[in-house]
Amino acid sequence: MNAVFPTGFPPATAFYLVLLVATLLLHMVFMHYVLAGSAYLAVGRLMGRQWCRRCGWQRLLVDWLPFATGLAITAGVAPLLFVQILYQREFYSANLLLSHRWMAILPVLIVAFYLLYLQKSAWIGRRGWGWQIAVAATAFAGFAFIAWSWTENHLLSLDEAAWPTLYASGDLRYATAGLVARLAVWFLAAFPTLAIELAWQGRLLGIPLSGPAAAGETVAGLSPLRRLAMTALAGLVGMAAAAAVYWPTLPAESREAIAGPLGRPWLVAAAAGVAVQVICWLIAASRDRLPSGLATLATAGWLATLAGLVVLREAIRLATVDLDTLAELHAEAAGIGGLPVFLIFAGLNAAAIVWCIRMVARRAVTPEPGSRSGS
Amino acid sequence: MTPLEHYPVVDLGPIMKGMAIGGLGIFHVFLAQFAIGGGMLLCYLQWLHMRGRCRLARRFIDDYFKVLVLVSFVLGAVTGVAMWFTSIQVSPRTIGVMVREFHWVWATEWSFFCLEVVAGYLFFRFGPRLPDASRLQLLGLYSFASWMSLFWINGILSWQLTPGGWIESRDVWQGFFNPGFLPSLLFRTICSAAIASLAACVLINLVPGFTRRERESLVAICGRPLVLMLAMPLVGAWYFGSMPADSRGWVTGGSVPMTMFLTMAVGASALIGLYAIFGILRKQLYVNAATAGLLLSLAFVATAGGEFVREGVRKPFTIREYLYSNSVARDGIAELRQRGVTADDPYPLRDEAAYPSEQLVLGGKVFRAQCSVCHTLGGVNSVIELTGSWSLEQKRLNIAQLQQTKPFMPPFAGTPEELEALVQLIGWIDAGRPDAWEESSDPAVLAEIRRWIDEAGTRPGHASLAAATGDRRR
Ligand code: HEC
Ligand code: HEM
Repeated sequence: MNAVFPTGFPPATAFYLVLLVATLLLHMVFMHYVLAGSAYLAVGRLMGRQWCRRCGWQRLLVDWLPFATGLAITAGVAPLLFVQILYQREFYSANLLLSHRWMAILPVLIVAFYLLYLQKSAWIGRRGWGWQIAVAATAFAGFAFIAWSWTENHLLSLDEAAWPTLYASGDLRYATAGLVARLAVWFLAAFPTLAIELAWQGRLLGIPLSGPAAAGETVAGLSPLRRLAMTALAGLVGMAAAAAVYWPTLPAESREAIAGPLGRPWLVAAAAGVAVQVICWLIAASRDRLPSGLATLATAGWLATLAGLVVLREAIRLATVDLDTLAELHAEAAGIGGLPVFLIFAGLNAAAIVWCIRMVARRAVTPEPGSRSGS
Repeated sequence: MTPLEHYPVVDLGPIMKGMAIGGLGIFHVFLAQFAIGGGMLLCYLQWLHMRGRCRLARRFIDDYFKVLVLVSFVLGAVTGVAMWFTSIQVSPRTIGVMVREFHWVWATEWSFFCLEVVAGYLFFRFGPRLPDASRLQLLGLYSFASWMSLFWINGILSWQLTPGGWIESRDVWQGFFNPGFLPSLLFRTICSAAIASLAACVLINLVPGFTRRERESLVAICGRPLVLMLAMPLVGAWYFGSMPADSRGWVTGGSVPMTMFLTMAVGASALIGLYAIFGILRKQLYVNAATAGLLLSLAFVATAGGEFVREGVRKPFTIREYLYSNSVARDGIAELRQRGVTADDPYPLRDEAAYPSEQLVLGGKVFRAQCSVCHTLGGVNSVIELTGSWSLEQKRLNIAQLQQTKPFMPPFAGTPEELEALVQLIGWIDAGRPDAWEESSDPAVLAEIRRWIDEAGTRPGHASLAAATGDRRR
């Protein structure tokens, strides 16, 4: 714990930690789109039909949320695998203690997922606006419940002392001081992610972000770009505030891990990333323009923040678990064969994925409504 | 490997845990096979279309694919995650070992899953606007990726029943390409093709816009993969032959429910196969929505039977010759008989105050650790009922020699004190849970139990049966 993450751990532990952090980052990239996107949609629906008709982001989200959910789930499977290698006993114990309450995320996920498809259907277009509100709000509530459950499960997995009493009580909830604040960090961090992703999606699909071309898309006096900037800035400020509330609830060892050699460079990266994003969005909002350079800079800041958060999240956990026992298990797992096979197929499949996307971008005829390239 | 790891055991009340995973497994396997077979069928249709041999294919493919995406991308993917979560709930140690031993296989499967999702969604979204050759490429990648995820997961699942050379070498590839790998892969591939065909027949009747003539020609084409069912008896027999002899015994009369489930699976498959071969393929009968729905339901029944059999025949193991169903390591029995199965258990009982004595609490913990994965104390497969007609002495003897009482139970893995506590618990519950219950600690009784336990040995029932001299006391 005296060297910057992920150095300073036994090789096997470091190896699986890097894999967990990298794949969890990918999960966050898509999960944030779903969580913040479904919230954005629900708020939009509440604002009324006129509002939504003018807001291109609402249309875009309705269109893409189901696929993003598929990606969030798919991307969640990989960290799920590595969590089980790294912290098997902790993760399983929390799962078992929360029992039905934990398992409830699955039916909820199915319902929320179908509601997203329902939102795209012609059926709902023929219904009253109340339906739109109900469907969007329920889908968001579902995703919020899932996020809460992951946080609750995670915190419980770190609190071994609480396991026997919780088990004996038969209570399927684990309420602890930092829960709400931690959940708020993730929830609010999702909005800057959504803003960055929508900005790029808008560019790729040729949606005008600002200027005269976007005049018809002004909502509440804000151009599409300014709405993104507001979303991102609100999320960043809120996230920082939530983190400040979360901090004192952390055990002393975890705070040390964050502020000490293990986490400090990542803390700095996350904070710098926030600063860069804030500046970029302020500039973009004041000029009502987002040139590629600025978008790239904001994206770099966003990535630094997200990577920093995911690593600090691990630092908190590493400070509370019994690393010596775990390291033995990691070394045992690392001794098991199959890695080369994985690397070969992962490479081939990644290439196949890129190939598919490019092939479709080249070959698809008649561009999509409102798009430039048809991809 | 430690003899046992203690987890907070989930209590599903009157329901047996195996039922939970079996129940969910049916849905997941059915949906996954639908997706795998669906991909292959659509490739075939697209190919026919490109050779000018099925004019309607392109339109039907797009309709079918929408259903495939709505069903398999949502339900299939989420029930897949659900299988994982349920396995954790039922037997964390089993899934823990599987994850540890095969994490790179699982990671490889995941990389195919990613390809499947991307290729599938691209086809869903852009397929109608792509030229034929590109459509075939995309469908080909999609169905190859989804079949490959079957390929990988099938190795892990068949390893549980027939770990083969892995037991000695601990080599991941020996475990993966185990004796059951190939027959079960072939078998599941055929099932997938059949399910997708039947689902297509349902859909042909449901989507609007086709004339009766067009429907007939589509049914005739989509029914073709059903011919693969001709190979089912052969592949099934091969699969069956790859199973350990005692597992085969359970499903051929040794265990009534297992035999029933197998009969259900074979019977339903045979009905589908006969109708498919004689009705659809030879007589070119038209399959209307009701018939197709019925056939698809039969396929579901067959899947259900098959999944229960697959879960059941592994008994008393979840990983053959390595880990017992109650998460006790095969090689950990002797140690637990010395140290006690409850010695390191940090978890109290949920309703500890309701037990009048320490001994009964101990009995409750022994039951939870060793029996609760297959039995309840008053619901399905209740030990109270099963021992209802036994004397005290018979209970002690038969539990001490559990693996000989029924070879699909693991050996008892605890001290004589623990066994006696369990027997007392059973008696106490049977007596209606009275407020007072006398402690039983007669050294002579404990010594006798110890002798019985030692006599039974630490080997699983099928092994000690094979070695027995025929003198099996009951
Ligand atoms: C691998 C699953 C499994 C485990 C673990 C298990 N059993 Fe069983 N047991 C069974 C099955 C299956 C039966 C057969 C039930 C039937 O015939 O209806 C059975 C039958 C029994 C019977 C009736 C036997 C007879 O001859 O009629 C008793 C008594 C019993 N079990 C007690 C126990 C006790 C006590 C434990 C824990 C120490 C235990 N079992 C652990 C699966 C298991
Ligand atoms: C789409 C709905 C989902 C949402 C909103 C969501 C949200 C979250 C959140 C908020 C966290 C962070 C928890 C914390 O650190 O406090 C998290 C972590 C995680 N998620 Fe998701 N998630 C979703 C779906 C999934 C699915 C389907 C999977 C698995 C296939 C998954 C796998 C994971 C894993 C493995 C972690 C890390 C857990 C740990 O380290 O303890 N997620 N998720």
